[in-house]
Amino acid sequence: MDKNNKIPFDEDNYTHNINKSNERKLDRRGFMKTMVGAAGLFAVSTLPWGSIAATELMGLREKKYPKKEIIDVKKLNIGDAFEFAYPTDHDSALLVRLGENEYKAYQNACTHLRCPVFWEQSKSELVCPCHHGFFDVKTGSPTAGPPRRPLPEITIQVEAGKIVATGVKRYET
Amino acid sequence: MKRSYRGVILLCVVLFLNIIFTQKAIHQYYFENYTATVIYAVLNLVLFPIALFIYHKEKNV
Repeated sequence: MDKNNKIPFDEDNYTHNINKSNERKLDRRGFMKTMVGAAGLFAVSTLPWGSIAATELMGLREKKYPKKEIIDVKKLNIGDAFEFAYPTDHDSALLVRLGENEYKAYQNACTHLRCPVFWEQSKSELVCPCHHGFFDVKTGSPTAGPPRRPLPEITIQVEAGKIVATGVKRYET
Repeated sequence: MKRSYRGVILLCVVLFLNIIFTQKAIHQYYFENYTATVIYAVLNLVLFPIALFIYHKEKNV
């Protein structure tokens, strides 16, 4: 009965698991070693970004995008939004019909931490619910909240009563 | 014995630059400024031998 209700022995400093003397001590040289290790870690961690950027520079600059039908014009009322995937099945995107012949589409991963962005019809703005980021629906640029970069815009065409995605615009910086 | 903390400070500066270059590289990547991304990645790589050099110079000072 008493067995499981007691601390095994009196302890007040929780250091009984330290075996070597000076085990908790970080001296000047040890600190410098840690810093060199961290510098190495940072160097390695930027390698993938650098190499992907380098391959982008070597000729993949003008990307080819497939045409993809999104939805029938008739099925989307003015002021409504439709979620689809473009250019690949893993890139979520959002199409908003703003007027009779006015469409806007963006890749809807928030540029802050990639949460999905939603269309708030009553306020006419794009909202990321995670940290309350807001985007202008006309340009895709952030208007409030943590995101700093605009949403990548998807170019849209209307062909034979169907809305067709034709490409993704580069950031205009 | 009086220690010199020059190495510690210099390595702190190196790590600070590391953080800045990493942040910049990733942001410029998302802005699709690929040349800038490569430059920052290379700068980050160059900082590592500099850190090693500082360590070897300062470990016994």
